[in-house]
Amino acid sequence: MGHKNPWNQALKNAALALYALFALFPLFWMLLISFKHDREMFNTIFVFHPTLDNYRVLFSSGEYIGYFLNNVYVSVGAVLLSLVVGVPAAYALARFDFKGKENLAFTFLSFRFAPEMLIILPLFLIYQKIGLYDTPFGLIWVYQLISLPFIIWILRGYFEDISPEIEHAGRVDGYSWWRVFLKINMPLIRPGMVAAALLSFIFVWNNFTFALLLAGQDVVTSTVASLKYISSDTVHYGQMAAAVTISALPEVILALLIQKHLVRGLSMGAVKG
Amino acid sequence: MADIALKQVTKKFKHNVALNAVSIDIKDKEFYVIFGPAGAGKTTLLNTIAGIVVPEEGVVTMNGKVVNSLEPEDRNVAMVFENYALYPHLTVYDNMASPLRSPKYRQPESKIREEVHRVAKILRIDWLLQRLPSELSNGQRQRVSLGRALVRNPEVFLMDEPLTHLDAKLRHQMRAEFKEMQANLNTTTIYVTHDYMEALSLGDRIAVLNEGRIEQIGTPDDIYYRPATEFVAQAFGEPEINILTADVVNKGGSMHMNLLGNSDHFPVPAQVKGILEDSGLNAVRVGFRPKDIKYSFSDDSASSLRAAVYSIEPLGSKAILTVHVDGRLIRLIAAADLEAKPDQPIYLKFNVDEAIFFDPETKRFIARAGKKGGRSVG
Amino acid sequence: MSSIGKSDQAVPFADLTDTAASAEPYRIPPIPFMRKARPYLILAPALLLTIGILIPFFISIYYSLTNYSFKYKDYSFVGLHNWVKMLTDPSFWHSLWVTAQYAVFSTGFEMLLGIGIALILNQDGWLARALRMVLIFPLMIAPVIATLIWQLMTNNSVGVIAYALRSIGIDNFIWGADPKTAMFSVVLIDVWVNTPFVIILVLAGLRSLPKAPFESAMVDGGSAWFTFKTLTLPMIKPLLLIALLFRSMVSLQEFSIIFALTRGGPGDTLMSLPLTAYNEAFTFKELGTALPYMLILWVIIYIMSYYLIRYWSRAQKNASGN
Repeated sequence: MGHKNPWNQALKNAALALYALFALFPLFWMLLISFKHDREMFNTIFVFHPTLDNYRVLFSSGEYIGYFLNNVYVSVGAVLLSLVVGVPAAYALARFDFKGKENLAFTFLSFRFAPEMLIILPLFLIYQKIGLYDTPFGLIWVYQLISLPFIIWILRGYFEDISPEIEHAGRVDGYSWWRVFLKINMPLIRPGMVAAALLSFIFVWNNFTFALLLAGQDVVTSTVASLKYISSDTVHYGQMAAAVTISALPEVILALLIQKHLVRGLSMGAVKG
Repeated sequence: MADIALKQVTKKFKHNVALNAVSIDIKDKEFYVIFGPAGAGKTTLLNTIAGIVVPEEGVVTMNGKVVNSLEPEDRNVAMVFENYALYPHLTVYDNMASPLRSPKYRQPESKIREEVHRVAKILRIDWLLQRLPSELSNGQRQRVSLGRALVRNPEVFLMDEPLTHLDAKLRHQMRAEFKEMQANLNTTTIYVTHDYMEALSLGDRIAVLNEGRIEQIGTPDDIYYRPATEFVAQAFGEPEINILTADVVNKGGSMHMNLLGNSDHFPVPAQVKGILEDSGLNAVRVGFRPKDIKYSFSDDSASSLRAAVYSIEPLGSKAILTVHVDGRLIRLIAAADLEAKPDQPIYLKFNVDEAIFFDPETKRFIARAGKKGGRSVG
Repeated sequence: MSSIGKSDQAVPFADLTDTAASAEPYRIPPIPFMRKARPYLILAPALLLTIGILIPFFISIYYSLTNYSFKYKDYSFVGLHNWVKMLTDPSFWHSLWVTAQYAVFSTGFEMLLGIGIALILNQDGWLARALRMVLIFPLMIAPVIATLIWQLMTNNSVGVIAYALRSIGIDNFIWGADPKTAMFSVVLIDVWVNTPFVIILVLAGLRSLPKAPFESAMVDGGSAWFTFKTLTLPMIKPLLLIALLFRSMVSLQEFSIIFALTRGGPGDTLMSLPLTAYNEAFTFKELGTALPYMLILWVIIYIMSYYLIRYWSRAQKNASGN
């Protein structure tokens, strides 16, 4: 690529290294600390005797496991509901033509921008009246604001990529519309479904505001539970770090799995990537 | 095993009228070709018969029964799609087996295996059965698509431009194979194409579709020798028919056409004269097929018209000779080894007996002296 | 005998325009219900859910016109009183200012940093490739957790950053607790979490650019900046706009980072609109007066996103026209 200025290159690499440090060091440090015993916390930063005590305590109390499982339960539920509702909607947007189609599509997109607090205030009232406050389904329902737009917008693109002729072929072959949808469309959009589901899962898992204010006693997700560690005067920094590491771990793993679909997913299908 | 009929079928998409009062009548076991340029509505017509599309007006019948909104899976039709529409996630075997595994047309697995292998062998794709569509060439995909239809025993075969996306050589070869297959099919077949050669060679009857309307329905001879409109005449034949405007003049008892600046060379044939007189027209449009115009480099006959050479395109076994006369270009067929220089004088003789006469206003067929081609519906 | 292939001798040429040939009117048979209803059935679940989501929104508007309080059972309609009160309250304008500051600073830094890093990452070295996979991680961390991590890092007793600062002589940087550095702290955390979002989008755009225009530009001898300005920028504009759209819309209503770090403090330094609404509703237990703060924010977001999307749509058409 033309004349390479060695200074230029060195500068670029330095900038990159600096940013990489900025982005990754905190996570690395967290991981490190989680293996550090409380009594060694105040002395040397990097040289210490690693221990699994922090994790042991975290798991033994059982409380944190409960929070973690709550988060799993609610996040999986939210994503499943979004899939059930969103896959047909994505299909409709891709295939059908009707008045107000793009307006509807924009409405789905706008869920993503809706201010959390704006939703929470009336829901706080309504949920208590109809008994959804502090229930898993209450959170699953409100989480649709986060996961549904992802599912619809990402899968719309995948459906548009399937030629309608293939569906016609299935019909003519003797399969009813529903069977064609299940046996032909679904397998073909499976990579998209997986990507959309995982991405939605990550953002739903990370949600704090809804989980804090529309739940909080019976249903406590691990994300919300972490707040307890911030506000308390605890000196158990090691456990704090362990809790954070465990909380962040699933998403980091999932992120590695959906590398390929990241661009399409994050831009909500606006970019094929 | 079915007659199919469409009566006054109209289909609109948003503001575009894809089919406009289309009526066709297809007899049992007929090989019926639907011919038209891109955008004419051919695929929509096929989709209407298949049940993929429901018309706004008109009636679609199969075996006399009205089937307008009968679901495609209930119609027992087999279709070969223009872009093959193979299931990307299934092997060739599973693609071909697909209809025989459907709830409607299910067969036991042993029968399926038998049928798929039989058809695959006929189409010479039996060595590809375990491949995925993405691993096949266009020609192979086309055969698999065909195979998926042939394993069935449907009321009617619908074929949407099956040869269009193949390269020229493969297309000619497949056309010949189709012709052979056609004789053995023993099932009503509706074949859609924009290639006039396929239409003329394969069809028992041809329906010509233009912008959603039927221009003409007839046998290949009808279409070629007695085209209902100028559009039909121009669509069939390569190089394209030469259609010229002429005034009708009476010269001492006989009728002549004033054509290309000359009225002596173009007498109106007797059979046509009467019809023209009855119609009271002063001007006509006359069509001469390139093969009905003879040429010579020597002015040896009184009935030759002088023209100048414009261009020669050698095409292997023949050549297309374009000449210049009276400000117009005329196309003829010439010998492959013809040599001539641009603007070289050349003498043409027009065979008015084979000429086709059209009404200048409606562009519709008026008459033709030649015997070939019966009268057809249009 | 089969009549296949024989022309229909009995039928004369029919005129195309002659509709009298069809004597009987053709009754179109009715379309079966399932077939007609199918598109609506498919869309129904999503529509129902949408309505379910819009209901709270309309309820908000209603309650903003009342003096509803979580403390009492009764409430009454007060018209625009809450709205007027809010608009004449200086703390509202302060909230608006805080919200705007937060959004502009975080989005601004994320865009600039993101574009810069993406440009550097757009090469084929092994380092670049390895980093591309790993730099997404901060985006995957919940903002609340990110706040926790940074709090820990700057913790005076055990934090590595506090340690580092101390060793170069700074020992009074109290981050969130200091009004002068509070905004900086929350913006820093936001930038840490969200810059990868911009990087990923811009990088995808850069990698999908056609090589030809750039090669000819090099032959023509333009400087790197010039190439960037006239070639790169317009072509990746749609992606930049998407990144801008998402980041600005989300950062305008960011709640968890500020809440987790300082609850809006110190004092009212970080009392953005969502924080103020939270306070009003959950500390003072007043719903009627809390709602207008969020409704105003929603109007701002809706209008901005509408225009940004229109602008993006146009840029998308231009970019593909190249």
